[in-house]
Amino acid sequence: MMDAGRRHFLARGAMSLAPLAAACLYREQLQAAPVKPELARKSFDLLPSQPQQVPRATAMISMFMQGGPSQVDLMDPKPELNRLDGQKFPGTIKYDNAAQASSKVLGCPWKFRKHGECGSEISELLPGLAGIVDDVLIVRSMHTGVNNHGQSIHAMNTGRILRGRPALGSWLTFGLGAQTRELPAFVAMTDPRGLPVEGVLNWSNGWLPSLYQGTVVRSREPRILNLQPPERLRGEVQSNYLDLLSRLNRRHLARRRGDLELEARIANFELAARMQSAAGVALDVSKETKSTHTLYGLDDEATREFGTRCLIARRLVERGVRFVQLFTKNQYWDHHGSIRSQLPASCRKVDRPAAGLVTDLKQRGLLDSTVVHWGGEMGRLPVIQNDAGPRQVGRDHNTYGFSMWLAGGGFRSGGTHGTTDEFGHRAVENKVNHYDYHATLLHLFGIDPEQLVYLRNGRDQSLLDGQPGKVIEGLLAAGTIA
Amino acid sequence: MVENRRIFGAACRGLILAVIGAAPLTAAEPVTFEKHIRPILKVHCFLCHGEGEIRKGQLDLRLRRLMVKGGESGAAIAPGHPSQSYLFGRIVAGEMPPGEKRLSAGEIERIRTWISAGAPTARTEPESIGKHFLTEEERSFWSFQPVVRPPVPAVRHAELVKSPIDAFLLKRLEQHGLALSGPADRRTMIRRVTFDLLGLPPTPAEVTAFVNDRQPQAWQRLITRLLASPHYGERWGRHWLDAAGYADSEGYTADDRVRPSAFRYRDFVVRSFNDDRTFDKFLVMQIAGDELVPVPGKVLDPRQIENLTATGFLRMAPDGTGSGGAVAAVARNEVVADTIRIVSTSVLGLTIGCARCHDHRYDPITLDDYYRLRAIFEPALDPKNWQTPRQRKISLYTDADREVERRIEAEAAKVDQRHKAKTEFYITRTLEEELLLVPADLRDALRTAYRAASGKRTAAQQALLKEYPSVAKVSAGALYLYDRRREDRARKLDSGRKQKETRFVAETRQARLAAIEASQRPAVSAALAVNAAKRTPAQKTLLGRFPGVTVTLANLAKFNPAAAAELKADRETAIRLRTEKASDDLKKIQAQAQEIRDRIPTEGFVRALTEIANAKKIPMTRIFFRGDHQQPRAQVGPAELSILAARAPVDLPDNDPALPTTGRRLTYARHLVGGRHPLVARVIVNRIWMHHFGQGLVRSPGDFGQLGERPTHPRLLDWLADEFVGSGWQIKRLHRLILDSAAYGQVSRQTAELDRLDPDNRLLGRMSIRRLESEAVRDAVLAVSGSLNGAMFGKAVSVMEDAVGQIVLGKENLDGERKPKNEIDLEGQQFRRSLYVQVRRTRPLAVLETFDVPVMTPNCTQRSFSNVALQSLMLMNSDFIVEYSGRLAARVQAEVGKDAGAQVRRAWQLAYGSAAGPEVVRELLEFLGRQEQAFARLSKKPDAAGARRQAMSSLCQGLISANRFLYVD
Repeated sequence: MMDAGRRHFLARGAMSLAPLAAACLYREQLQAAPVKPELARKSFDLLPSQPQQVPRATAMISMFMQGGPSQVDLMDPKPELNRLDGQKFPGTIKYDNAAQASSKVLGCPWKFRKHGECGSEISELLPGLAGIVDDVLIVRSMHTGVNNHGQSIHAMNTGRILRGRPALGSWLTFGLGAQTRELPAFVAMTDPRGLPVEGVLNWSNGWLPSLYQGTVVRSREPRILNLQPPERLRGEVQSNYLDLLSRLNRRHLARRRGDLELEARIANFELAARMQSAAGVALDVSKETKSTHTLYGLDDEATREFGTRCLIARRLVERGVRFVQLFTKNQYWDHHGSIRSQLPASCRKVDRPAAGLVTDLKQRGLLDSTVVHWGGEMGRLPVIQNDAGPRQVGRDHNTYGFSMWLAGGGFRSGGTHGTTDEFGHRAVENKVNHYDYHATLLHLFGIDPEQLVYLRNGRDQSLLDGQPGKVIEGLLAAGTIA
Repeated sequence: MVENRRIFGAACRGLILAVIGAAPLTAAEPVTFEKHIRPILKVHCFLCHGEGEIRKGQLDLRLRRLMVKGGESGAAIAPGHPSQSYLFGRIVAGEMPPGEKRLSAGEIERIRTWISAGAPTARTEPESIGKHFLTEEERSFWSFQPVVRPPVPAVRHAELVKSPIDAFLLKRLEQHGLALSGPADRRTMIRRVTFDLLGLPPTPAEVTAFVNDRQPQAWQRLITRLLASPHYGERWGRHWLDAAGYADSEGYTADDRVRPSAFRYRDFVVRSFNDDRTFDKFLVMQIAGDELVPVPGKVLDPRQIENLTATGFLRMAPDGTGSGGAVAAVARNEVVADTIRIVSTSVLGLTIGCARCHDHRYDPITLDDYYRLRAIFEPALDPKNWQTPRQRKISLYTDADREVERRIEAEAAKVDQRHKAKTEFYITRTLEEELLLVPADLRDALRTAYRAASGKRTAAQQALLKEYPSVAKVSAGALYLYDRRREDRARKLDSGRKQKETRFVAETRQARLAAIEASQRPAVSAALAVNAAKRTPAQKTLLGRFPGVTVTLANLAKFNPAAAAELKADRETAIRLRTEKASDDLKKIQAQAQEIRDRIPTEGFVRALTEIANAKKIPMTRIFFRGDHQQPRAQVGPAELSILAARAPVDLPDNDPALPTTGRRLTYARHLVGGRHPLVARVIVNRIWMHHFGQGLVRSPGDFGQLGERPTHPRLLDWLADEFVGSGWQIKRLHRLILDSAAYGQVSRQTAELDRLDPDNRLLGRMSIRRLESEAVRDAVLAVSGSLNGAMFGKAVSVMEDAVGQIVLGKENLDGERKPKNEIDLEGQQFRRSLYVQVRRTRPLAVLETFDVPVMTPNCTQRSFSNVALQSLMLMNSDFIVEYSGRLAARVQAEVGKDAGAQVRRAWQLAYGSAAGPEVVRELLEFLGRQEQAFARLSKKPDAAGARRQAMSSLCQGLISANRFLYVD
C-alpha cells in the first residue's frame, strides 16, 4: 500500500478534476507532496488497477451506430419477409410513429450471402464486414425492450433506461483506471456533422466523480479542449508563453525557497506540456503509412472522416487509453423513410473503416486484448413505415430483437449468437439483454459485475443495478468461459 | 464524511485504524484497561460484545471484570496468562473479529502486554454499567472540557507581542527556540488582507493609498474600510456556506433538481456577515428561526421572512424526496441524517453520524445519543409525515399579487378552452382524412371502432383498428405526425396537378383542332408547329380565327371549364393541406395562453424549515437498530449528547406549551449559544482562525473528536473562544483581534530553521503562503481584467453543459434530443462573483472545479487545495483564461495608451498590486517583442497592431497564470 502522504496527495489531485480532465494521471506530481492533515476523503484516481480475475480484454473501442441499423437488411436475413413482401403482417407489431404506421410487410431489397469459414450471412451492403466475418461475432438477439432512442441508448450505454447514470466508459475507467498518464482514460469522438441523440449524456460520468467523464475529441481544433490551446496560440507562441511563465515562477520562487507547493506547480506546467504534446501525437494520423490510410478508407471522400476517427481510436488504445467510443451524427441510422437510398449511404460511410479497424488491430496483435463493438440501440421493424411508394418507405423502431457485432477481447470470433423470430421482430433464442451484454463485457475485463460498485446514498450502485445480467458463455471465445 | 469508495477493497477505516488507535504506550507508563485496551475493543468488538441488543456468546467486553467472568465459552481472559486467555487466542488466530478486518500487530502486542501484566485497570470498575457508561478517559477528552480563559502567558521577547494572541503563539515558539518572523511590507499586507476579507485583489489605487498612508493607525483604518465593504459579506458568507453545505440543487438523485429559492438563504448569510449579526443570534435564527416568529399566515412580514429564510440552513442537505426514482422512506431518512451531519460537523465539530448505526467507535457518543439529538429535529423533519421540497415552499405573495394572479388566470383559462375545442376539431379532421384512405365500405365501421372507448371495443373492432394503425393512432399528441403526412399529400397532389395541367392543355388543343373543318386543319397544324415568334402574319391571322387551338394554362377555363375547375380544386386542396396545420395552430393558441400567464407577477418562495403546527402530531422518535428505519426500537425524547450534557445540562421540552411549535430546536439553539457549551464557541473561533491563517488551531475543523487533530494551541483557542463569547459573539471584532496581531502581519518567508523544526508551520513562526480558493481565482481574474460585475444578491447565475460536457455559465437551451440550440445571452451575469454562480451538485462550473470548489455531500468543513497538471492545462489553454487575458490586455491599453513600457507596468500592477522592477519590465518587454514577431509570422496578412494586441494578451495570460497571481504571501 502506498504511504499515507502519497495517497492523500493523489486523492486531492484526483478529486479536483474538470471534465477535460479527467483524463490523466499525475504520478509525477507526487514528487513534491506537501504534508497537510486531511480527514478521510474519497480517493479516486486513474491509476491502472488490477481486476479481480485475469482479464481477456484491457481496452475497448465502441462504434455506436445511433438510430438503429436495420438488422433484417444487414446481418439477420429473413427470407420470410421477402415471401410476404407487401402483404399484411401476420403477427403483432409495436409501433412508434402512429401516423406512418402500416401493417404491410417490407421485404429486404438487398441480397445476403454466406461469408468466411464461419459462413455467417451478411448483406451486400456490408462488404467490409463480410471480409472480416471470421473475426467477428454477430449477436442477433439483442433486446432492450424500450422503444425509443433516448431510453434505449441509455440502456445500452449506461445499463438502465434512465438519464443521469454513468456511461459504460465511466464504469470501466472507474474500475480499471487507464494505462496512460498523458492521455484521457475515456475518449468520446463525435461526428463533425452533429452530436448524437442525448448529447453529452452519452459520455457522462453520471454520479461517479467527474474524473471518469469521457473526454471529447472534437472534429475541429482544438481537438481536446484545454488539453490543447486554440490554434493561434500554438507552437512558437506557446513556447514563448511557457518560457515567460517559467521565468515569472522561478523569480517568484527565488524569494520563497523551499516552498514545495510552488515548486510542484512549476513541475506541473512541464507535465501539462508533455500531456499536450502526447495528445497532439496521438491525434496526428499523417505519419501512418499509405497502406494504413487505405485500409481505413482515408483515400475515399465517403469514408475519410469516419476512417480517420477509427484510426485515431486505434492510436489511442495503443497508447493506453481504456475506452474509446465513436458516435455517428444525430439519428444517422434512424431510417423511418427512404431506407432504400439512406441505408446504403450510411453503410458506405462506416463499413470499410470499421472493418479496417478490426483488420489493423489484428495485424498489430491488439485485437486479442481490445473489444471492438459495432451497433446501435435498436433495430428496425419487419413492416413498412411511410407507405408512400417504394422510394419513400422505411422501417420503424424495434428494440425487441436487433443485431450488433463484437470482435476481439475474448469474444468468440466467427459465427452468430441468438436468433429472432421468422420476421426478425423479436429475439426468440438466446436473448441477450443489454445487462447480459454488460455482464459479459465486464467479465472479459476481469471484473465481477457485482463487485464493481460505487456507494451512493447508502446503497451500492452498479452498472447492472440489480438487473439479472448474466455472463453469456455463448458470446465467449474458447478459454474465456465464465 | 463522504461515503464513497472504490472497488477492490477500500481501506477507509483500515487506514484510520493504522493512524489512530488507543493512546500510545510509552515505556514509563503502566498499561491500563481504560486507557489502552478498551479503545481497541470498542472499535473492534463492542458492537457484538457489549453495546448492542445482541450479545454474542453472552460475552460482554466492556469491563475487565466482565471479561474475567466470560460468556458461553468461559472466561475471556486469564490475567497474567495471555496464552491461556480465550480472547487472546481467538484474536491471534485471526478468528476474531470475524470478517476481513484484523487487529494490527501493535494492538495485539498491547493486549498481550496487558494480560501478562495481570490485566490491570486504572481504578475500581463500576458496579453496573448502563447504556451511557462513560469512562473517566472519555469524559476528560480535551474538547468536552469547559472553556476556561487562560492567563496570557509571559514570554521572553515581549517586544514582539502586539496582541495577546502573539503571546500565546510566541510562548510555544520560544519553547522550540523560535520566534515570530518580522513584519511584512505594506504591499504584501494589503494584498493579504484584501483577499482575506473580500476575496478580491486590491486595486492599484488602494495599494498606493495604503502604502503612502503616513498617519498612525493606517492598518486599522484599512481593516475598517474592508470590513465595511459589501464584498466582505460575500467572502465570509461563502465560508459559512461551505459549512452549511449550500447548494442550488437538491442532489441525491441523478435529476439533481434545481432549488430556485435557495438563494435567499445565501443572501441572508451574506447580509448577516455584512451587518455583523452576532454569531449567537445568527445561529439561533438558523436552527430555530421559525420558532422565533408567530405562525406565519398567508402573507409574511419582513421579520418572518428573515427568520424563516434563516432556517434554510436546515434545508441544505441533499433532498431527493421530491425527485422521484428514490425509495421514499430511505430518501427521507437520508435527509434527516444529512441535516444532523451538517449541524454536527459545522456547529459541534463532531462526526456523530457514525452513531446512527452503532455507538461511535471512537467518541463517547452512543446510538441512543444520536436518536435523542434526532428527536430535536424530528417534529420538523418527520419521515412519517414528510413534506417534499415543493410542499415546504412558503410563498412571498401578497394579497394584491394573488388578486392579479386570479384575474389573469381566468383570462388564460378562456384561451385554454379554445385550445381544447380546436384540438377536438383537428382530431376529427385527421380521422376523416385518414378514413378516406381506407376502403369505403370499412369507413363507418372504423370510425365507430375508433370512437368507442378503448375498454369497450369488440374483438372485431380491435382487429379492424390493428389492421389500420394510422387510423387507430390518431390522437392529440400525434397530430404533428399527421401534419407531416398532410405535407406529403400536398406534395403528391402538386406533382399530380403538374401532369394534369400539361395533359388538359394538350387534350383541349386536340379537341379544338379536331373541331376545325378538315380543309383548314393542315394549315393550322403547320402554323402551330412554328415557334410563335417566327410565324408569318398570315399564320397569325389564321390562328387568330381559331383561338381554341392555342389554348394555354392561363386561358384553359375559357375552353375547358371542367378541367380548369379540377385543377383549381387540386391547387386549393394542396394549399389547405399545407396551411391548416393542426400543430402550428394549436401551438399558437398555447402560446397565447402562455403570453397571458407571463403577466402574472413572479411568485417568490422561502425555502424554510417549519414544524407542522399541530400538537397532536408530534412524531415519536425511535432508535433504529443498526440505523435501519425498518427496525425501530425504543422511543426516545429530545436531549443533548450525554457527554456534553454532563458539563452543560439542558432540559429540552417535549412540547413547549408556550409556543405553537414544540420549542425543541429553539431551546437547543439557545443552549448552544448559552455560553457553557464546550464546543460551539471553540468550533466557530477555530473556523474563523482557519480562514485567516489557512489552517485552524485545530486542523480538523469538522472533527474535534478522537479522530480529529488536537489543537496546536489549546490555550489560545480557549482564550479566543472566551473572548469571543464574552464580548457578545461579534465576528468583526474577532477579525480585528486576529488581524491586529503581529502573527498575522509576519512575512511568509521560510527559513532553514523553521523548515527543519516546523515544516508544516504548526507553530506559526511565519505566515503560510496560500493558494487562492477556486472562487477567488475566478473572481480575481474577473477583477483585474476589469470585467467584474459587482451586483449583489438574487437568483443564481445558471450553469449548463456545453457541447462536450464541460460545465460553463449559461442557460441551457437544448432541443428535444438534448442537443444544444442557440446560445442565450447572459446579459452581464457571466461577470458576477463566483458566489452567485449556481451551485448545482452534479454540475460544478469547470473553472471552479479545477481549483477544488467543494462538492456538497452534504457539506464541506475544510477545503482541499490540489496542485495538478489539469490546473496548468486550464491556465494554458482554456477559453476562460484566453478570453480574460484578452480583456486584461484591452484594459491596459485603454488605461495607459500605446507605450509598451507603461502597458507592461500597468498590467503587472493590476495583476499583483505591486510595482514591477526595472529588470522585470525589461524581461517583459523582450517577451512582448518576441511574441509580437511570432504572431506576425503566423498571420497571413501583415497586421502589426493585431500582433501587438495578441502579444500583450499573451503576456497578460502569463501574468494571471503565474504563481504570483495564484498565491498570497
